[in-house]
Amino acid sequence: MSDLQHIRNFSIIAHIDHGKSTLADRFIQHCGGLSDREMDEQVLDSMDIERERGITIKAQSVTLDYKAKDGQTYQLNFIDTPGHVDFSYEVSRSLSACEGALLVVDAGQGVEAQSVANCYTAIEQGLEVLPILNKMDLPQADPDRVKQEIEEIIGIDANEACPVSAKSGMGIEDALEYLVENIPPPEGDRDAPLQALIIDSWFDNYLGVVSLVRVTQGTLNKRDKIMAKSTGKVHQVDSVGIFTPKRLEKPSLAAGEVGFVVAGIKDIHGAPVGDTLVHANQQEVPALPGFQQVKPQVYAGIFTISSDDYEDFRDALGKLTLNDASLFYEPETSDALGFGFRCGFLGMLHMEIIQERLEREYDLDLITTAPTVIYEVVTKLGDTLRVDNPSALPDSGEIDEMREPIARCNILVPQDYLGNVITLCVEKRGVQKDMQFLGSQVSVVYDIPMAEVVLDFFDRLKSVSRGYASLDYSFERFESASLQKMDVLINGEKVDALAVIVHRDQVQYRGRALTEKMKELIPRQMFDVAIQAAVGSKIVARQTVKALRKNVTAKCYGGDVTRKKKLLEKQKAGKKRMKQVGRVEIPQSAFLAVLKVDG
Amino acid sequence: MDSLPLGLYVHLPWCERKCPYCDFNSHETAQIPEQGYISQLLKDLEREAAALGDREVSTLFIGGGTPSLFSGEAITALMGGIAARLPLAATLEATMEANPGSAEADKFAAFHAAGVNRLSIGVQSFQDAQLQALGRVHDSDSAHRAIDAAKAAGFTRFNIDLMHGLPEQNDNQAKQDLHTAMELGAPHISWYQLTLEPNTVFYTSPPALPDENLLADIQDVGEALLAEGGYQQYEVSAYGRVGDRCKHNINYWSFGDYIGIGAGAHGKLTSHDGGVRRYSKTRKPDDYLSDSGFKRVGEKVLNAAELPGEFMMNALRLNTGFEIADFTARTGLEWSAVAETVEQQIARGLLEQSGNTIRASAVGRRFLDTLIAEFLVEP
Repeated sequence: MSDLQHIRNFSIIAHIDHGKSTLADRFIQHCGGLSDREMDEQVLDSMDIERERGITIKAQSVTLDYKAKDGQTYQLNFIDTPGHVDFSYEVSRSLSACEGALLVVDAGQGVEAQSVANCYTAIEQGLEVLPILNKMDLPQADPDRVKQEIEEIIGIDANEACPVSAKSGMGIEDALEYLVENIPPPEGDRDAPLQALIIDSWFDNYLGVVSLVRVTQGTLNKRDKIMAKSTGKVHQVDSVGIFTPKRLEKPSLAAGEVGFVVAGIKDIHGAPVGDTLVHANQQEVPALPGFQQVKPQVYAGIFTISSDDYEDFRDALGKLTLNDASLFYEPETSDALGFGFRCGFLGMLHMEIIQERLEREYDLDLITTAPTVIYEVVTKLGDTLRVDNPSALPDSGEIDEMREPIARCNILVPQDYLGNVITLCVEKRGVQKDMQFLGSQVSVVYDIPMAEVVLDFFDRLKSVSRGYASLDYSFERFESASLQKMDVLINGEKVDALAVIVHRDQVQYRGRALTEKMKELIPRQMFDVAIQAAVGSKIVARQTVKALRKNVTAKCYGGDVTRKKKLLEKQKAGKKRMKQVGRVEIPQSAFLAVLKVDG
Repeated sequence: MDSLPLGLYVHLPWCERKCPYCDFNSHETAQIPEQGYISQLLKDLEREAAALGDREVSTLFIGGGTPSLFSGEAITALMGGIAARLPLAATLEATMEANPGSAEADKFAAFHAAGVNRLSIGVQSFQDAQLQALGRVHDSDSAHRAIDAAKAAGFTRFNIDLMHGLPEQNDNQAKQDLHTAMELGAPHISWYQLTLEPNTVFYTSPPALPDENLLADIQDVGEALLAEGGYQQYEVSAYGRVGDRCKHNINYWSFGDYIGIGAGAHGKLTSHDGGVRRYSKTRKPDDYLSDSGFKRVGEKVLNAAELPGEFMMNALRLNTGFEIADFTARTGLEWSAVAETVEQQIARGLLEQSGNTIRASAVGRRFLDTLIAEFLVEP
């Protein structure tokens, strides 16, 4: 057990691609946490999807012993944080377990909004934020400009910012020294009653729920009886320990330390992120502030293409929720798609990741319907309903008022692209709340309907600013709006799974764009396929996928049909990934056409 | 199965120049090792014949490549060698593929004398611009001369191979080619739509082809024109009166048996217990020419799941379709293996049944790949 003076708890705040994982790898390597042979690139991002997308979804930690130049050995606890706007609550919990944070900024690209938002969270929580300039080996590195940006935008002194190149290994030891000198050691009375923050929890097939915790006071020992404050349930601790990054059991974790605890908890909801652990016989110890039940922001229906896969799908969702407390699901039935689940997600990235994991890890062929936000509907009878599915919207005659969620969007953009960004925000029904010029960048704040934000706002923002603008958003309030349900009809039949809720002013444009996109995505069939968008009984747009005139292999040389056969078999397998609605075969992508409509 | 008709396919794998659309097993060469290859073919045949007992061969097809690059002497030796090793039907149809170049046409008489009684002439188009676009070595004049030479050599049965849907072709040009072939009195016309096949020059750098609508228009006007001229369509791309049709190809399409000899040749044989076996020969001419290079490779017995698909891929190409009894005889499967799918496709309008005959409907012929896919298993 290290004494408090020799512990440093920190996390790294960085925009995607600014080099957080590479820097963490270098720290591990430098402190000998893993041998070179064990040193798989970016060890902390353990899911395949995390590695492929270069983002962190789950928080993880690593405890390293660093022998500093003063001759002392320090225990460094690095708490990795998720790096995407969808996971900002998890970020705030990770940060609250630290005394300091390294702000890693790409010395060529400068500060981006995601980092700014996380930095503010860190500063609000009293963390010491230390700027690190990464990618100093690249020719476009401009440390002076970036230092100035850090000072202007974030408002911290960047004079001492530590220049490194995580890729080449340059400046790694300096960064570690900088960290030990400037991040304060943790405080906490080790003799006081136990109080520990759950930073993250995940499900392990052998151990059950494993929680990453920061002990704020007291000591957590093996065989202690503990209680999670939000659930009130008592569990006996099976083991505690640290990640080096390998799991290493210890007899106890004391105030100031970060490590794991396994306590025979079978359900991830039994150890929610942000909750407080106390000893069962000291239940009066208060909960740490900031705990929230996570709420999905985006909802979509997910259905299996083949109804035979329904049971497997249900099991797979059950398994995923073991590990993901923010994934919500309940059964949904669609006339067009059959039995499936209405799923709630933190955001679009979360949704994509879940669909990808279901398809990849559980080998399911799925159709996801257009994502929607939650609307508040006040009926003529005075009831307020929360609607997360367009097809569940009451008839327009029964609706007195509809309210849509509004997101507060903090956007950071270089001056050159400000005009484009404002045009985009206006197009997305945004209302400007604030604008500040900070050096060469501009910080603009807009209130934009959440439905517009989750759709394609982030992608559009990137494209109108050549990738330079960045975004952070959060739910602000519900607001009355003129909204309508737009139905989509395929060959005259309403397809419930294709319905979307749109603003009255956008009905024409959305209807046209959606039907045009669907025309591109639905392959030609043996007959004409009519695609119509309608509000009530009024058709607002129509497109036709003309029938194929023939589909026949001209030359089938009788001696060798093998290759032609393989080709047809492959086409057939591709078709199996389409959903038959009436006589029409509709590919997966068409159900998400609304997301692919160009602006 | 002794009762099944038996064909013999002989592959001669060389060409003067490889065409950019061709995915067949053909190789450019300056010098063909004629004697060595013929003697290897006959060794190959001997080995195949040993397993066949006294089954009579009713059709022979010499394909390529460009078989007409071989000399009259070589073809004479080949034909003699075949006759010495296998019982041939008195009514043997012996087809050979020929290129309409002048050097080839000079040899037609020798081929006829050797016992070849049907020529399939790879004209492709009678328009020079289009022949050039296709990378063909001949021009329209030499095509005309080759057809004259075939007639003069005594070939009463011959086929003109034509392609349509050629780069920048319109429907009039396609019609013009058909007109010319009919005027020249071709007893049989094979009329294929150009398809871009993987592993060809056209596949990697595709030419500008007519759009889907124009292709369908060309198909419509061409079919009508051929029918007017008395050329009955009997397969997706084959046209001719009953006596003029290619028996060898009909045997493929009726899921009959055939031996394949030569580099890259394919064979299919049904054994006494009803098992259907496919095999091929090594593709590269040099490998085939090595000591035991003629041995079968990639031999496999088709399983019950893939037999219906293989059968339908062939049988439904024929306008006459097939008899239910032929399905059970040639696949060794019960009719129940496909009965449900057949019923569904009849209901869908892609198949039709009269008595015990099943065939693709007019719509089914247009959407034959869609129809056949229903009988295939996924990989």
